[in-house]
Amino acid sequence: MSAVPKIQLTSSDGAVIEVDRPVAERSVLIKHLLEDLPEESTTEAIPVPNVNEAVLRKVLEWCEQHKKDPPPSNDEDSESRKKCTDIDEWDQKFMQVDQEMLFEIILAANYLDIKALLDVGCKTVANMIKGKTPEEIRKTFNIQNDFTPEEEDQIRRENEWAEDR
Amino acid sequence: MSGFQPAPVSGGSPRPSSDKGVLSSLRATSMVQTKHSLPAEIIQLILPYLPIPTLINVARTSRRMREMVYDDALWIRRLSAMGRWDEGEARRRFEADMRRKLQAQRASLGIPPLSTPAGRGAGVGRGGPQPAASGTVETPPSQARDENPAAETIFDAAAEAQQKQPPTQRQSATHPSRSSKSSDGFEPAIPAPNGHANPSSTTQPPNTLDASLTIIRSLRSLRGGARHEYGRAYKALAPFYRDIVSSASHGDPSSFHVFQTFRDPEQQARMLAQLRVFARSDSAMGWEVREGRLDSMMGVFESAVLREFGNGVDVGDTEGRVRRYARVLVVLNGGASGVDLWLARNPVIAGKRGFGEPGECLMSLSTTHVVMAPAQEFFRRLVLGVNEQSKTIERVFPANVEVFVPFLERVCEDVVGEYVTTLFDQAHERSLEAYLSAVSATFDLVMQFANAIRPPNVPIQDRDERMAKAMAEVFEPHIDLYLQEELGFFRKKADAEVDAWEKRLKDEEASTESFYMSHFSRQAEKRDFLTSFRKVVMMPVQVVGSITAPMTAPFSNRPASISAAAPSGDMLHPSRASSPAPTDRSNSPRNPKAPTDELAAKAALLNTRLEGIKSLFSIEMALNLVHTAKTSLERTARFAQRPPPPSKSAPARIFHPILAARAQEAREQCEIIFVTLLQILGSRHIQSGFTTAITHLSAYNPRAAASHAGTDGAPTQPRVEPLVTFLELVNVGDLIQQMIDVFYVQELVGPKLVERDDFLSAAAKEKKRFEQMLDGQVASGLNQGIDVLMEEVEYMMATMQQVEEFCPAAGVVEVGRSETAGRVVEVVREHLEMLVGSTDRNVLEVFNQEVGVRLFGALCKHIKRQRVSVDGAVRLISDMNHYYSYIVTLKNKLLTEYFIALREVAQIFLISGKHAKEIATIIADPDRYQGIFRPEDVYEFAERRADWLMIKPNVERAMYGAGCVVM
Repeated sequence: MSAVPKIQLTSSDGAVIEVDRPVAERSVLIKHLLEDLPEESTTEAIPVPNVNEAVLRKVLEWCEQHKKDPPPSNDEDSESRKKCTDIDEWDQKFMQVDQEMLFEIILAANYLDIKALLDVGCKTVANMIKGKTPEEIRKTFNIQNDFTPEEEDQIRRENEWAEDR
Repeated sequence: MSGFQPAPVSGGSPRPSSDKGVLSSLRATSMVQTKHSLPAEIIQLILPYLPIPTLINVARTSRRMREMVYDDALWIRRLSAMGRWDEGEARRRFEADMRRKLQAQRASLGIPPLSTPAGRGAGVGRGGPQPAASGTVETPPSQARDENPAAETIFDAAAEAQQKQPPTQRQSATHPSRSSKSSDGFEPAIPAPNGHANPSSTTQPPNTLDASLTIIRSLRSLRGGARHEYGRAYKALAPFYRDIVSSASHGDPSSFHVFQTFRDPEQQARMLAQLRVFARSDSAMGWEVREGRLDSMMGVFESAVLREFGNGVDVGDTEGRVRRYARVLVVLNGGASGVDLWLARNPVIAGKRGFGEPGECLMSLSTTHVVMAPAQEFFRRLVLGVNEQSKTIERVFPANVEVFVPFLERVCEDVVGEYVTTLFDQAHERSLEAYLSAVSATFDLVMQFANAIRPPNVPIQDRDERMAKAMAEVFEPHIDLYLQEELGFFRKKADAEVDAWEKRLKDEEASTESFYMSHFSRQAEKRDFLTSFRKVVMMPVQVVGSITAPMTAPFSNRPASISAAAPSGDMLHPSRASSPAPTDRSNSPRNPKAPTDELAAKAALLNTRLEGIKSLFSIEMALNLVHTAKTSLERTARFAQRPPPPSKSAPARIFHPILAARAQEAREQCEIIFVTLLQILGSRHIQSGFTTAITHLSAYNPRAAASHAGTDGAPTQPRVEPLVTFLELVNVGDLIQQMIDVFYVQELVGPKLVERDDFLSAAAKEKKRFEQMLDGQVASGLNQGIDVLMEEVEYMMATMQQVEEFCPAAGVVEVGRSETAGRVVEVVREHLEMLVGSTDRNVLEVFNQEVGVRLFGALCKHIKRQRVSVDGAVRLISDMNHYYSYIVTLKNKLLTEYFIALREVAQIFLISGKHAKEIATIIADPDRYQGIFRPEDVYEFAERRADWLMIKPNVERAMYGAGCVVM
């Protein structure tokens, strides 16, 4: 296993992190990047400008854990999304971070194109806001209520069907 | 839509261009400033994971969020998950709406309507529901009513969505008292509707309840209206759904909302089935658990219904419970379990023993015999049972449920298959022949069975094919073994027959010689035999002539009827009381009964009379072999049927690709059987017979034979025994060959086992070879035969012609031919006639000519041995005339000339010795003999004059000119 090639990543705040190439290749972005780069230049550190060190380390931790996963399937239809569903235990623990970190992981996963991690993040967020009132949701996402009271009333009536009886 | 950002930052700006891509949006995001925000595409990923109430709450947080939640794509996905989104329908609705809108617009603007209104414009929306479409819900109509068709598309979708709003509100308004006390996920917030205290179920008018039972079917594919449509389904179904999925155990099903609201099992089943569909649209976290609960609930319900159904089946309450609960099960989940149960308890499948035991067919004492009557009875009862069940199926199950085919498959597999396999196994143990006839006969029965089945009168796609498959699978495993055994059986039997015959021949060899002689006296009988023989042969020839007509040849039956004790004899016409109209058999070649019998009688006659040449080869055996082959072929051919033309719909059912593939094998097998037949019959039997005959022929010594004949006391018979035998052999060989030919046409070409023109097929090639072999044998035998015949003729001439005949004592002038001439002609005619019609016309012609020429030669030689007086010349001329008149009947020009010449030559002897000059003229006149005799030849004849020595000088003088005299 010593033959596993290593690469280096540079975070937005300048930290250089060395990582096994297969682990880093969980990120489709990095994978494609490495494929496009000439062989000798892989020794250089690859900049990851949008992700800071803490988040990058966290993401790579996840990649390390999931490096044996089968590669993500390409079909994006809703049915396949539905099939991969519950968050497994390790991921649940992994996602037990503060909300800021959670959002940054999601953004990093999105940027680095790590679909499985993105899914896990989205599910975590969905779990977070499940059952919350509009006001609570606004707080969570830092949303400004820009409805007039009339509008608010109308939207409630429009969707009365969805309310629990 | 760059995401959730604090309102002041970009709240009022219309969507930033989404084409900047992921990277730019990420870069634009200042992570330090907006810690608690996520971009829109990520929000979109999250939304499907949310339960509906939460989703609506998200919509209530801000305008941006509302846009996102109201996005049609989100809801279309849910509708698609339920199988209720039809893009085509959506487009049609959309386009129709577009047209209406456009026309209204044009009318309002005073523009005359176009002939193709909005066709292209509508196409813009083709790519599917665009998120942008609902994103501009707020676009004021005034803005949308501009010239841009794309804008119209957007507007229309939005407008439609708005149009649909009022009904929603109206519907909601019917339940104004709904409290939103629990906004939380799928919490079980429903008070159990106990018949009195539940406002929702009591306030719901009955028609709303009924509507909720068909809600899923009523959903429309409406662009811009997907959320509304889904909402309708949700409102109707979610309470029941939540009720079921929130409870971990289903101990008391009756406490559930579904079963209290609906008392009728049909309604309950319908609602459960809808819930099952609805559950597919539930993509929020934990859906597997909920789905599992719903499934187990349905399981509980299903088993309860099944219990009722089963009870109904057991007590035979077909019209009542069985029918009712079958329909309930079908509504619930397609009714598969009900069908299974029904099949499992079906009397036809369960009570298979009642239809008959395979062993009954093997009860008879004979080991080679299979009695098919019990099997027929079995299938008759089975058909009755199946058809009865078919009627029941028609009554009990709804038309869209396929019960009959699974039923038939089970019947085929469990009842027929088992029966057939057992029967075959037992028959195989009994004897090979029993097995073979059992297989083919059973195959027929199964085919009749297939035709006799009356499926329910409901059109079901490819039912026929599946039925055919079921039937085919009954036989599929047996065909290989069967084909193999059939060939082996035939080969073995044919070999054994030839062996036995050869052995018998060896035993009889010692007595052969005397055997010939003893038959020597039965000429009349033989002649009679030959005529009837020829008749039999000629008859099939005529049949072959009209082979293009449907094969109704009587000859095809001949081998079968000769040995009526054949095992298949009794199953060729199975009486089928129960199976109506076996149309596939009507064109079988067994119709003309009468000629068959006549032929059979003649053939039997033949057999008894053919004993004369039994020692060489036996037509009886050939017939036996052919018959065996026919039996095998007919059995095999059943598997080799080609699919009939598609027009005949009824029998088409019994043909299936499985069998079709097998049919090819079977066809090949048929050819192999035929080839084997020819090989055994040809090489082993006929060829050796011919060889023996030719050996006899070449060893023939007229003198030795004459001495035999003398001792036999019948020296007057002018026959060359080995030649007669041989010629009879030729006849028999020809008969066999014709038989083979007819057999080929009848059994292989007729049933389309072999293409008529396929000269490459193994069977055709082998047949050719066989015919060539036969012709070759005949030719070489005839060669020998000519020699022998001539030897005989010469012998007769030498021994019988008395010296005095052509040179009588003075004064005795006998007019008329000599006895020798008469006998010789008779012998020749006798033998030549035997060949007429029995061998190739050309061969015959050549043979005749050869015989004629040789006879001519022999006569010349004979005359030159005689001494002919003028008185005897009369007799000689009579003889020559006699020969001539016979030769003329051969209708051979060359021969006729020869014998005319011979007749002319004979006149030399008539001229009185005093007229030497005339004699010389006649000798020297080449025209007289048509160039056949040179003067020298004639001169030699003239030398045979009794008075030659006296007239010689005069004649020579006359011949070589008067000058000689002078000298």
